[in-house]
Amino acid sequence: MEILAILSALRRNKIGALLIAVQVALTLAIVSNCLSVVEQRLQRMGRPSGIDEANIFTLGNQWVGQPTDLKARIDEDLAALRALPGVVDASLTNSVPLRGGGWSNVVMLTAEQKQPTAHTAIYFADAQTLNTWGMRLVAGRWFGTDEIHPIEVNDTSVPAVVIVTEALARALFPDGSALGKDIYIAPTAPSRIIGIVARAQTPFAASSWGESFVENSLFAPDEFINNGITYVVRTQPGRLHAVMHAAESKLFAIEPQRVIDRLQPFAETRAHEYRSYRALSLILGTVCALLLTVTAFGIVGLTTYWVTQRRRQIGVRRALGARRVDILRYFQTENLLISGAGAALGVGLGLALNLWLATSLQITRMSLAYLIAGAGIVLVLSQAAVLLPALRAAAIPPAIAIRSA
Amino acid sequence: MLKMTRLSKIYRTEVVETYALRDFSIHVQEGEFVAVTGPSGSGKTTFLTIAGLLEEFNAGRYELDGIDVRGLNDSRRSRLRNEKIGFIFQAFNLIPDLNVADNIEVPLRYRGLPASERRRRIHEALERVGLSARARHYPAELSGGQQQRVAIARALAGSPRLLLADEPTGNLDTQMARGVMQLLEELHRDGATIVMVTHDPELAIRAQREVHIVDGQVIAVAAQPHLVAGAEMQA
Amino acid sequence: MIKYYLALALRSMQRNIVLTVLMIAAIGVGIGASMTVFTVLRTMSGDPIPQKSSELFVPQIDNWLPAHLNESPNLVGGLLDQLSYRDAMALMRARQAKRQTAMYGVSFTATPTIAGAKPFIVRGLAAYADFFPMFDVPFRSGSAWTAADDAGRTNVVVISGKLADRLFPGGRAVGRTIDLDRRGYRIVGVLKPWDPQPHFYDVPGGAFSEAEDVFLPFSTAIDRQMPIYGDNNCDDLPAPGWYGHLNSECVWLQFWVELPTAAAVQRFRQFLYNYAADQRSIGRFRWAPRVNLQNLHQWLIGEKVVPDEMRVSTLVAFGFLLVCLVNSIGLMLAKFSSRAGELGVRRALGASKADIFIQCLIETAVIGAFGGIAGLALTVAGLGMERMILTESAARLAHLNVAMICTTFGLAVFATVCSGLYPTWRASRVQPAWQLKAQ
Repeated sequence: MEILAILSALRRNKIGALLIAVQVALTLAIVSNCLSVVEQRLQRMGRPSGIDEANIFTLGNQWVGQPTDLKARIDEDLAALRALPGVVDASLTNSVPLRGGGWSNVVMLTAEQKQPTAHTAIYFADAQTLNTWGMRLVAGRWFGTDEIHPIEVNDTSVPAVVIVTEALARALFPDGSALGKDIYIAPTAPSRIIGIVARAQTPFAASSWGESFVENSLFAPDEFINNGITYVVRTQPGRLHAVMHAAESKLFAIEPQRVIDRLQPFAETRAHEYRSYRALSLILGTVCALLLTVTAFGIVGLTTYWVTQRRRQIGVRRALGARRVDILRYFQTENLLISGAGAALGVGLGLALNLWLATSLQITRMSLAYLIAGAGIVLVLSQAAVLLPALRAAAIPPAIAIRSA
Repeated sequence: MLKMTRLSKIYRTEVVETYALRDFSIHVQEGEFVAVTGPSGSGKTTFLTIAGLLEEFNAGRYELDGIDVRGLNDSRRSRLRNEKIGFIFQAFNLIPDLNVADNIEVPLRYRGLPASERRRRIHEALERVGLSARARHYPAELSGGQQQRVAIARALAGSPRLLLADEPTGNLDTQMARGVMQLLEELHRDGATIVMVTHDPELAIRAQREVHIVDGQVIAVAAQPHLVAGAEMQA
Repeated sequence: MIKYYLALALRSMQRNIVLTVLMIAAIGVGIGASMTVFTVLRTMSGDPIPQKSSELFVPQIDNWLPAHLNESPNLVGGLLDQLSYRDAMALMRARQAKRQTAMYGVSFTATPTIAGAKPFIVRGLAAYADFFPMFDVPFRSGSAWTAADDAGRTNVVVISGKLADRLFPGGRAVGRTIDLDRRGYRIVGVLKPWDPQPHFYDVPGGAFSEAEDVFLPFSTAIDRQMPIYGDNNCDDLPAPGWYGHLNSECVWLQFWVELPTAAAVQRFRQFLYNYAADQRSIGRFRWAPRVNLQNLHQWLIGEKVVPDEMRVSTLVAFGFLLVCLVNSIGLMLAKFSSRAGELGVRRALGASKADIFIQCLIETAVIGAFGGIAGLALTVAGLGMERMILTESAARLAHLNVAMICTTFGLAVFATVCSGLYPTWRASRVQPAWQLKAQ
């Protein structure tokens, strides 16, 4: 059939065919791996943090000097923030999801346990934190005002009651019976789980270290009395930026001798934490686009050259009865054979590359689906690229057979 | 000048072995104008490519200007070709990118001559073929006859010992052909050694001597070429 | 002859301008992409203090139960990457190195004396006086504090030039007082601009953070109970309060030593081992001594200062360059094959295979040179773009110096010539006879 004839004709132009096949193979290997890495990062970036992101802003607060009446100041600040028009609620904490820095701890089921059952982030919460963060309680209850204790930075007391995220609850008690159970975040005393919220990510969501426990968070009923705290404010929809500025002015009005930094809507916190993922996606995405372009142009260039070399031959075929569409099909079939061989090679290369990336750079393994999808993209692109020179070939007039210069 | 003794050239493909030249001998003295004739496929083109050191041969001996060419490496052969031989091709083979003067300069560049020497030779060669006015023109701007004369100038510029012409008038109309043949005869009168391959008996007549090849072998060598033409018609 | 070949190359490129532009573009883009990414990688993995880096070391002592080690986010060589207060003080007292310093990050609110200026936050580092000569920190005026200040816990600071200019514009800062957290500190020295990248001496504080603005004696900070602005890791609950924290096995301190000779390194290693063995014999460590001494280079690698994302990007970018070069091979084959006629004529006129080879090779080099120029332009543009999307200060600092420019250009020419070797070799083998017959 035609295919065998094409193959034997190719044997006389081995190097050119090899070059295209190698380009296709390399492109496929690289593009499929990049797609896998980017998809994984994008998927991580798309995870919800569990809080009402669109309406939350945070700010860091530090008073000048070492005031001794920190609790009073904090309570005054919070009361003023909560009273601002447009504010749903405000609360105090040590950190928020996706912050980058915060507290982490191990969790054990018994005091004597040597190996931790789970890792978790610890958030200091007050009675308003549930409402401020906009989280959803799925079991039990939130803390009452009388349960909140003031705590300082080197305070090592263990909270008697805690609230955990659903993920942490399941990690600790896979049978779903977490509510009311005791856990140990330090061997000295137990903490009882009195409530479970649906979701709250840790501050470490974009680090490879934190990836294994990104959904595990634990709330301790502690008012964090420290000079260097974070206020979280939740506004009514659409009023975020106005309230942000009002809040800053109000706080300075209460006490000008302070420094407010990182006053930012939560969207900025999220963007900052995931900036390296975004950068990687952009870089890899750009390189892949360029790669596909270069390979496509390479196919166009090389095939155009082959057509020119075989002008006479093509004219003869036409003179002997081939229609334009037959010539077109000839070149498309030829290209499909070469690119197909390249794609087959590329699948192997892609798997090898992925294996190497997985072992040396902790990139997760890519599913075969990416390679198949990648092969599909590359083959379609290749056939599209060859269309132009193939059409030019089909347009060669049969008279060339006789008249060739 | 050009001496081949019992030369053989075999083309081998996967299936077939063809003798392009078989036991071929020819001796061209200095200052001779020899025409090499024969039907198409007779081996005259092969003879020309071997004479011009463009191809190697399988058996026999070839001396060019007293030098035995057997066993010379590519570098030496190229040097020899550059210094001893001037080519005049049927299809002119001028380089379209370069103007007339630069085209003539090409073989001189491979000789390693200084710029002033090259300029002098180009000037002389153009004068010889009567195209000094066209030094800056490009081949596309010249007629066929003019292009062939440029090619002859290129052949002459290196002061070759031997001029090898392959159907020099094949691509020219009658009038231009006449002009080119006149030039070749002039060159011969001035002392050049010319070997011209042609299938045209009218051209062959203008040479001093004719060597007729059929199937890779010399059939006849005649000092009066018109006699050979008659013999062919009878056979 | 070279000039002749160069002229021929330019002419040949002009004749088939589309093909030439395609080739230059492909090479330019390949070089641009890979060099952009590579420049940032080089900056991030560069030696921040080349004149001293071989003499700077980090001691590691494991004061946790080996089973607890996986609770720490950052292990270097299987050991903790920070020291406890107890161990750091023991090392300081022992004075087993030429120079040594413990350090940790702190933060203050600074209140300028200029009327109407608002207070702002400054980042600081609590360290010993040895810090400055050890890291070749350059002074604009004044000097570091003395060992007496270290012992006496005096309220002295060294500040950055930037901070000095902000607080005392146009005037002399040394001798004046700076208000930090409503306490006065006497300025004894002002630094010249100093911002080693990576921020090697305190990686947990931020591998590419800007250098601190305030430096004060370690003992002063401890005495004032200045909170840690950095990483704190505990495996067991410490006793409450500041002193409970100091006496605990929590690790939160950086420690650096200067060891000028191999013998000194050997001695210090032995000292560390003996120290850990002593701690075991007094019952504090219940395990065999686990210590290590890491040179600065090993330390930066162990702390994974260059994020894996950067490595992946570099790999992909160079893979892209490879494809561009394979592409070039094909295009050059096409280019030279279409010139077979002319090259055959040249062979007939006396050019040897070597002459043709050199002619074509020079042509590939010229294309490589143009590709290099295009690549350089694209690298500059690419670095600009990368600066916008990568906010690490290393990316901000990444720029092309002379060495990188030469590397980029050289790589372009070299790579193009390499990919041109096969097509050039094919071109030089053109049979003069065949080409002429096939007219």
